[in-house]
Amino acid sequence: MEALTTFAQLLVGGVLTGLVFALVAVGLTLVYGVMDVVNFAHGEFLMLAMYATLGLALLGLGPLLGLPLAVIAMFLFGIIVYRVFVRRLLAGPPEATVFGTFGLLVLMQGLAQAVFSSDFLSVPSPPFAGTIRFAGLAVSQASVVEGCGALILTALLFAFVEYTETGRAMRAVAEDRIAATLMGIDVQRINGLAFGIGAACVGAAGGLLMLSYPVYPTAGVPFALTAFVVVALGGFGSISGALVAALLVGMLEVFGGFYLSPELKLVPVYLAYLVVVLVRPQGLLGRR
Amino acid sequence: MIALGAIVAAGLVTALSVRDAVALDLVFTLLLYAVLGQSWNWISGYAGNISFGHAIFFGCGAYASALMVTHGLSPWLAIPAGAVAAAALAIVTGFPTLALRGHYFSIATIAVAAIVDALVRTQPWLGRATGFELPIASGWAALQFADKGPYIVLALVLFTAVQIATIALERSRLGYYLRALRANHAAAAAVGIDERSWKLLAFAWSAVIASCAGVLYAQYTLFVDPPSTIALGVSIDIALIGVVGGIGTLWGPAVGALVYVVLAKGVALELGGTGKGYDLVIYGAIICVIAALRPHGIVGAIVDGLRRRRGALELGAASATGGAA
Amino acid sequence: MLARRLALALATALTLTALPLAPTGAADPPDIVIGSVLPLTGASAQTGAALRTAQLLAQDLVNGHVSYPLPMVGKSGLPHLGHARIKLVFADSQGKPDQARAAAEQLITQEHAVALIGCYTSSTTATASQVAERYGIPFLNPDSSAPSLTTRGLKWFFRTTPSDATFADNFFQFFGDLKRTKKIDVKKIAIVGEDGLFGAGAGDAEEQLAKKYGYTIVSRIAYTATTTEVNAEVQKVKAAAPDVIMMASYLPDALLFMRGFKDQSVQPQAIMAQDAGFIDPNFVRTEGKDAEGIFTREVFSLDIKHRNHAVPLINQLFELRFSGKPLDGNTARDFMGVLVLADALDRAGSTKPDAIRTALQKTNIPGNLTLMPWKNIQFDASGQNQGGSGIIEQIQDGKYETVWPFDVAVSAPIWPMPAWKH
Repeated sequence: MEALTTFAQLLVGGVLTGLVFALVAVGLTLVYGVMDVVNFAHGEFLMLAMYATLGLALLGLGPLLGLPLAVIAMFLFGIIVYRVFVRRLLAGPPEATVFGTFGLLVLMQGLAQAVFSSDFLSVPSPPFAGTIRFAGLAVSQASVVEGCGALILTALLFAFVEYTETGRAMRAVAEDRIAATLMGIDVQRINGLAFGIGAACVGAAGGLLMLSYPVYPTAGVPFALTAFVVVALGGFGSISGALVAALLVGMLEVFGGFYLSPELKLVPVYLAYLVVVLVRPQGLLGRR
Repeated sequence: MIALGAIVAAGLVTALSVRDAVALDLVFTLLLYAVLGQSWNWISGYAGNISFGHAIFFGCGAYASALMVTHGLSPWLAIPAGAVAAAALAIVTGFPTLALRGHYFSIATIAVAAIVDALVRTQPWLGRATGFELPIASGWAALQFADKGPYIVLALVLFTAVQIATIALERSRLGYYLRALRANHAAAAAVGIDERSWKLLAFAWSAVIASCAGVLYAQYTLFVDPPSTIALGVSIDIALIGVVGGIGTLWGPAVGALVYVVLAKGVALELGGTGKGYDLVIYGAIICVIAALRPHGIVGAIVDGLRRRRGALELGAASATGGAA
Repeated sequence: MLARRLALALATALTLTALPLAPTGAADPPDIVIGSVLPLTGASAQTGAALRTAQLLAQDLVNGHVSYPLPMVGKSGLPHLGHARIKLVFADSQGKPDQARAAAEQLITQEHAVALIGCYTSSTTATASQVAERYGIPFLNPDSSAPSLTTRGLKWFFRTTPSDATFADNFFQFFGDLKRTKKIDVKKIAIVGEDGLFGAGAGDAEEQLAKKYGYTIVSRIAYTATTTEVNAEVQKVKAAAPDVIMMASYLPDALLFMRGFKDQSVQPQAIMAQDAGFIDPNFVRTEGKDAEGIFTREVFSLDIKHRNHAVPLINQLFELRFSGKPLDGNTARDFMGVLVLADALDRAGSTKPDAIRTALQKTNIPGNLTLMPWKNIQFDASGQNQGGSGIIEQIQDGKYETVWPFDVAVSAPIWPMPAWKH
């Protein structure tokens, strides 16, 4: 009985962890799907959003109140980064996007260290610190809020891509850039929008994650590493795939940690990535 | 070749005449990183598979050295032992992953390196998180020296060997095939070039080079632990050096190492006292600018510039003859 | 109160102007250079800046003539060396072992340092002290706690701070004292720590000592410090049902574990932490009421019943120089480190390495002439200070209150810790 309760608790913990991973990964997969770019600075976008949320919280706009502002700010930031920088990378050889976004990672970490120092900073007495109990299981309120946020965000993004005019244009660009151009779609505009929306998603993620995590210059790195795995597992560009893969990764990590060893808990996650990209390179739900 | 000779001569003069430990340390670091950058360049530049996990091969050499010395064996044995371990690791991990393209391969290297890092931290015989400290000794048998001179000579030997090997690579069948695969793998496969085996060969050699650098590093620093040898941060430093100088070029890694040493040590000394991370800012900015404007790095830019000038000259000459005719 | 403030202000003013007032003769002896290797850039740069300030404060007090009950302070330099002044020269380790090595070499060969001090992080201390050993220059380490540093058989290495083994030992002494005075019985211990040098070293020391003192280790968990969740770890601890959980964590993971323990109602009698994340100012700010009752080891506190009335005065001087931030365990230890070197230099009466080393070996500074809660400073054959010990604090009403050793404590320990409030 006790073993069963532990199992159920781990399952719930794994699902909630997976939802946090999904929260960070959906923005990354959208950008990848539309323009074939893995943004290696994705974690640094998250870090920036976390600092922004903290700043707003210190001004009196607690994590959730400040969330819309963080989303808008990150959306604009994403568009600017695309216009000024990523656009030029796309014109170069394929490896330019890998190096370029990698350089952005180094630059943003350095700037964060210069401006905010390498100290850990957190929201004082954050809301949702309590515990929710049901059927002998317990979860923190914050992780439930984060999980709900992840589901809402994924649903919104999915609906946007599937059912709006702009979303359809994005899919067209993703399918075939040249054909999309011929059909009169402004590819640069769509790319910029996609990059902005990807950054906005991270803005939302950063806002929610400040409920449970402190921020520091490399705070985004562990989330981004998992997000790369999630996006690849789910199929680069597939939003629903990212959600499924994130849940899978969350459970692999939690169960691996318990039944294997806590210090090796990421090993099954990375192995899963290797197996999937080798056996089914298009990912679990990827179309290509 | 002339450039290489000049560098060797300059290095030897430095090793023999300069007594300034700090300057010698910079020269040693420069040569070591140039070798590491070149090692990375073999697989990521010439073969086009960008690795973000190259430090594990560096770690093979460093750990081989630590294990040999702490078990009372000669550190010279670490050179073949580390090389075999690195080549084996490259073949085992490269066999499945080298066929992956672009970011699929890059993320796979991060995954492999993270697994290696996690495993090392759990193994008591590999020193877990504590790592190894090598006891102090002196002389060629112990491969440790009180003076910097022999270290510079060793680093210079390694650097020269690696540069000559790279020149040989550029002119060899392997180098030709790698460039063909990088330019268009489908076309290369169509003419019968077996991607996997040629890339594995390049990957294994690349790992061996990094391992040799690892042995030298361990014998110089006398301290080996996961964060300073196999962690993601070290892999990223190695990749930075390769990218900044110019990938797929003979002198790119050396130029990258120069920029790295000047920035990491120079900027840290001038601006770093405040603890503000300005070196990272400058570093990141350089890479961003290079990626956006000069995707082939510093050496690539120089080569492009030279070609353009030569092209202009030839064009000028052609029009001149045309005018005469 | 006012009189004390005035006296303090006067003392401060005198100290700050001490340098120009110091006696200057026709034949001033040259400054004696002490090389200091610190992480002035990189992730530990903030701490590095604080340590640099503390060391410079000690240097200026040694060179000045305002007296405090501290060794070598206020004698206008080193009397036995013709009142020569000491001069600290700093070099950056960036927190990296290879860079620390280069920095130490630079200080010895270019700056002609007669002794080295540093380097805060244990891995940088390891490489820098090897350089000193190679050149035969005394190395004083005031602030690195990895037990392995003094088991290397180095001849030129001296460490004033207690190691993690001593800090772990303090936990068990605390349990022993609780048993004797309050009939509290601790049996089952869970050890939870990050898998780096810090967590692994502390965990190993705790595991060894638990065996030695006859406690049962019911769970030993190592996890990666950058982890984003600790579900499995918390369930493992819960299943082991320990009386006491010993933690070695940085801030993000400490917060994750606190939340996990609370959610899963993991209710030990006490949580004993190895400082780090648990003494970060953000810890209490974030956890609020949930932080109540957490024990953590420390090396220094301003609130203990000091045997030395110089502590608040030195703290004021430090605050003046470091934008109002008070002395802490790291800065107090580094401040003392410079004084220990100055004391040895003066007794040596020479700047020859051998003489300094011999003097260091004969160091015997009573605890009441230090800022630390130590018995004394006296090195054993391995170079480890035998008189050092830590203190244990408990978070009570949002403040860190010293609760052990009982003779310097300001509060009684609350045991068991309060139950989680859901």
